[in-house]
Amino acid sequence: MSGAGRIAAGALATAAAGPAIAALVPPGVLLSLLAQACIYAILALSVGVLARQNGMVSFGHAAMFGAGAYLAGIGLGAPGLLPAEAALPLAVLAVAAVCFGLGLIVVRVHGIAFAMLTLALGQACFEAANKARGVTGGADGLTVALPREIFGLPAATFQWAEGMFLIAWLAMVALAALAALLARSRFGLLTEAIRENEERARFLGYGTVLPRAAVFALSGGIAAAGGVLYVLYNGFVSPETVHWSVSGSALIMALLGGTRTVWGPLAGAAVYFLLREQLVEVTERWLGLLGILLVLVMVFLPDGLSGLPRRLRRQRGAEA
Amino acid sequence: MTIQILNGLVYGSLLLVLAAGLALIYGLRRVVNFGHGAFYMLGAYAGYTAAQAGGFWAGLAASAVVLALFGAVLDRLVFRALQDRDPLVTVIVTFGLLLVIEDAVQWIWGTEGRSMDAPALLAGSVALGGDAFPVYRLAVIAMAAGLTAALLAWLHRSRAGLFVRAASLDPAITAVQGVNTDAVAMLVTALGAALAGVSGVIAAPFLSLSPAMGGQILVDCFVVVVVGGLGSLGGAALAALLLGQVQVLGAVLLPDIAALIPFLTMAAVLLWRPTGLAGKRL
Repeated sequence: MSGAGRIAAGALATAAAGPAIAALVPPGVLLSLLAQACIYAILALSVGVLARQNGMVSFGHAAMFGAGAYLAGIGLGAPGLLPAEAALPLAVLAVAAVCFGLGLIVVRVHGIAFAMLTLALGQACFEAANKARGVTGGADGLTVALPREIFGLPAATFQWAEGMFLIAWLAMVALAALAALLARSRFGLLTEAIRENEERARFLGYGTVLPRAAVFALSGGIAAAGGVLYVLYNGFVSPETVHWSVSGSALIMALLGGTRTVWGPLAGAAVYFLLREQLVEVTERWLGLLGILLVLVMVFLPDGLSGLPRRLRRQRGAEA
Repeated sequence: MTIQILNGLVYGSLLLVLAAGLALIYGLRRVVNFGHGAFYMLGAYAGYTAAQAGGFWAGLAASAVVLALFGAVLDRLVFRALQDRDPLVTVIVTFGLLLVIEDAVQWIWGTEGRSMDAPALLAGSVALGGDAFPVYRLAVIAMAAGLTAALLAWLHRSRAGLFVRAASLDPAITAVQGVNTDAVAMLVTALGAALAGVSGVIAAPFLSLSPAMGGQILVDCFVVVVVGGLGSLGGAALAALLLGQVQVLGAVLLPDIAALIPFLTMAAVLLWRPTGLAGKRL
């Protein structure tokens, strides 16, 4: 089977697992947690795409996530202006477009400086969300009332754990499949070549800023899609959603899972939420333990959990 | 207005001491310590506990010692072990440490805010142009100026300081000359951490203590070292004092956009003058 076929088959199989999980998991807190986990997994996916294709570590992706949530919330709050069916995709496209413009500038910054820049820009967005009371509701947040129907589905579907879990699961699988297909396209290979050696890629005659900016835009769009689902599910968004601790959590999920593969961050999100669920029951010290786990993974498994199979294969190969 | 400018100077002084530690560590280890804000917070709490037993100055000394030890261990176990890896890996490890420290502080001291008294010697206020201004804040400016002067004298007048400057310029060549650069780096990381701890205690009497106190100031420190130039103390000093003024005066004159100015400046500097205003030299 060709690579694209394998991705399609994997995506379909994973998508089909969604309803099975929804049927097996008793409705209630756990399913609601799974819905939230899928939404944050989309954010982690967006962080992973940027790390995988551009080699850039972002400490500010909550800004795109929050921007998607706020724009969708504002769009839904003005139903006379735009139907919800237009407002939601527009929120995603607007964030992606802004990220493309921003990307043309910020992709020139590399390594640690980029990490610091994203942290600062993310914090600037947090400040802006707090300050612009007229648009965002300031620190009180924005409460969003959904219209009666969106895309033919009753509003309650989006705020009901099982409904949102299925929607977020399918969105997550579709976005990951899109990212995987893109990664193995000519465009994806070009961005990887630039990541490995930008000067050499330029020497071969490729422009390097545009492809990197396009990846930044794609990553921003994916994060915004997560934000749109977030505001649909919670009916509320506040500056806390844009805070850098959210960016940090998304980065941790992506790194725990590993960013060499497209699906790594999704696995990382699953581990993150499962661990949190288990640990919160026994100890209040969950964040500290997460920090220790992050340090251990970065030191001993720099490719994350999704790099484990490859690592084991290589080890077995070395022994044989 | 005088009061506002002085307040800006107070915050700028605090940032200066913190950013100096950040720049020192970067100079030797080429790693930006994302845990620096957490060190500052840990220092404040350690100083708070020691101050309850022995007063403010004991708190200041205890915080310096505890954080210096912490920095030395960090350098030995993390920075040295990871020096051949991608610097981003080490950066993320320091981010992990930030989570561990924040959680440990909540564990030990709880989440409610605490306050610490200024030493009796520096209590009260003086009249400045008709307004009352706390003596302690003037002392903060003096303490920061003293620490910076001592640091500069050490870097430029002592033998160890010479090694530090050489090693941050070119570690390999310095090592070839017979300098134990690992020991120098350990010393510098300990010093940088101690400076963070000391600034935490200095800040405690006028900014209250909370586990979240490190996050905001970390971002401001990043702005300072990026604008001033990583590894440049003079540039960091200039940037810290400017940022202090922007934070305070901006909040008075341009309340709507003041909060965004530092970030935009940082982005602009990173793009058009990546070595910072003062270049990269220490």
